Amino acid sequence: MKLTRRRFIGGAAAAVAAGGGIYELVDRFATTPKRPVAEPAGIPSEQHLINLRTTSSEGVEVVVPPLHHAVVTAKLDVGDLPSAQRQLEDVLREIDARYELSPAGLGVTVGWGIPYFEKHVAAQAKTHLPHDRRAQKPVLLPTRRFPSDPSSTILEDNDVVFLLRSDHIQHIEDARAKIAALRFLSVTSVRRGFAGGGFDGGQSLPKKMAVAAGVPGADLIPDGAELFLGFTSTQKAGLGPGTIANHETLGYVDLRSGYFRNGTHMHLSHIAEDLEAWYLNFDFDERVLTAFRPGMTNVRRNAQTIPQGPSQVSGTNELVRQFHRTGRFGHSASIQATSRLLHDTVGVDGTHYPKGTAIPQRADFNTLDNPFAFSADPARDRMDKQPSAGVHFVVFNPTGDDFERNRLAMDGVLPGGTKLSLPPRNRGQGFNSVLTTTHRQNFLVPPRRHRSFPLAEL
Amino acid sequence: MRVSAVAALVAVVMGVLVQGAGAAPSSSCPNAWAHGWQKLADKVGVPVYCPTWMPNPLDAQIGGQYEDIYSIGKDRSYLVSFLEHGDLGSGDVHVNFRGYPGRKAIPTCPGPVGKTTVPCFADPAGHMRANGIRATVYQVNQGADQWHILLAWHYRGSLYTVSQHVINPYDSATRIRQNLAHLLKSLVLVQPARG
Repeated sequence: MKLTRRRFIGGAAAAVAAGGGIYELVDRFATTPKRPVAEPAGIPSEQHLINLRTTSSEGVEVVVPPLHHAVVTAKLDVGDLPSAQRQLEDVLREIDARYELSPAGLGVTVGWGIPYFEKHVAAQAKTHLPHDRRAQKPVLLPTRRFPSDPSSTILEDNDVVFLLRSDHIQHIEDARAKIAALRFLSVTSVRRGFAGGGFDGGQSLPKKMAVAAGVPGADLIPDGAELFLGFTSTQKAGLGPGTIANHETLGYVDLRSGYFRNGTHMHLSHIAEDLEAWYLNFDFDERVLTAFRPGMTNVRRNAQTIPQGPSQVSGTNELVRQFHRTGRFGHSASIQATSRLLHDTVGVDGTHYPKGTAIPQRADFNTLDNPFAFSADPARDRMDKQPSAGVHFVVFNPTGDDFERNRLAMDGVLPGGTKLSLPPRNRGQGFNSVLTTTHRQNFLVPPRRHRSFPLAEL
Repeated sequence: MRVSAVAALVAVVMGVLVQGAGAAPSSSCPNAWAHGWQKLADKVGVPVYCPTWMPNPLDAQIGGQYEDIYSIGKDRSYLVSFLEHGDLGSGDVHVNFRGYPGRKAIPTCPGPVGKTTVPCFADPAGHMRANGIRATVYQVNQGADQWHILLAWHYRGSLYTVSQHVINPYDSATRIRQNLAHLLKSLVLVQPARG
């Protein structure tokens, strides 16, 4: 057999990473970022919050994400709900006791899907699930496809999801094993990935991992890129601050009984990325205006971190004007039309959020899964052993409708009925022509106090 | 330490590939190919570059089994393309040679979105030097060079390019750059006959 470079590197990586898979290379490729020590008493009511340090990248303040990420999805095979609730909470408390809530320790977020609420706590859910008063819809919406999704996008129906984040893969593996050992959980998928590692200079983790795995286009990724597509996406000003993504903060939600106060909505998807198409067909200028907005000039050649503060936000009118002038709209510009506050806002806790503040809190991470590291149904999930560049997209929004507004805007469908009409996945439509979403599901993330089988005790 | 070990192994293999792929360049266009390149030089009235090495399995015989495109424009710019199309999933090997007599500027091509034009060769990513040529490497190219990595250089007031498609079996930009380095090293000038 002819020894190709890809086969060789893949083989070497597989050999050295036997047991832990390609992701063990993360530990070899990345130095652990300096982290603040978490205050033991500072565990927030919100499950989705984790204290992350910031650093400066090309003069822009950026959040340093945890190096390792894993997502475990599962279905339930449970008879005695209160007993299962106790068992899960015991395991989560054991994990909490072992690891501080920080990237140096471990962040655990538990979310619950519609199938759980419908099958196991239907009566309680009718009374207690929060309602989106802005959209006149439930906060937790059935998962749907979007205009740029192919018909092959799988809409999942998991009962529960666990998001695990840490700088140390052993912490994640320990927690994953403890959770997976619970007899009433039938794990449907395990998804792994990595983020960051490049802010201190040199080759970034995504670049190293992609090259080691031999994915097509890996050698075209700029050396310091935070993500496979070459641009930093964790600008602090581009991420929702504090508790802004809580159901209650912006007043979008009727909490009803208040059971889900401090909770949030989580969307999970897997998106395959065509790196060769991105780097061989889009020159740097087109990558900038595709990722950000048309008309963006004076961007330093090969810059990776572009400011995304309130002053860089595109309003709807500007977005429409640019579209009619250029035949395209940028990824960030289209989403900003719905993801940023349209005016100064005071949250329910008195926090002042200026106009242009971002609402969603993203927790996405790069992956070489194709599409998952493990699937209980490999045929349905179209599992392939060949590594593939992608992203496990995780985002927290106050409501499912808030997420949908942003995702629809990414396809040129704006609130109020404005439609920037382009064929689905057209090259003028931001990133869409190089992205393919394979799986989607919505979840409700309860507050920490109700993270285990929410409503089951009622 | 393990990273270093992997990197070292990779470097060894890359070295083997590089050495295995190359052969000492000839000083003249191979006999079997020379007629076609001479005819091209005569027709466009400027020197053209004949390769003395081609990526396996191609040859550079104009009018031969691998010729895909042979086109000369009214402005005497030319495109000579060689292609092996693997019908059974073995992939494509596709190399283009261009020349723009009397022209130094990069030509423009229709833009991908709207009624715009874009440079036909863009995203410079370094240079290669060989054979007295200093070529610029372009990663984003249009038309017949789309999905190709391309080298462009000037000689006596004319612009020349050679490019290869990034596709299986030469399925990474790194491998294509290695092939292009060999191509650059192998080029010999064919002068137009005095007429």
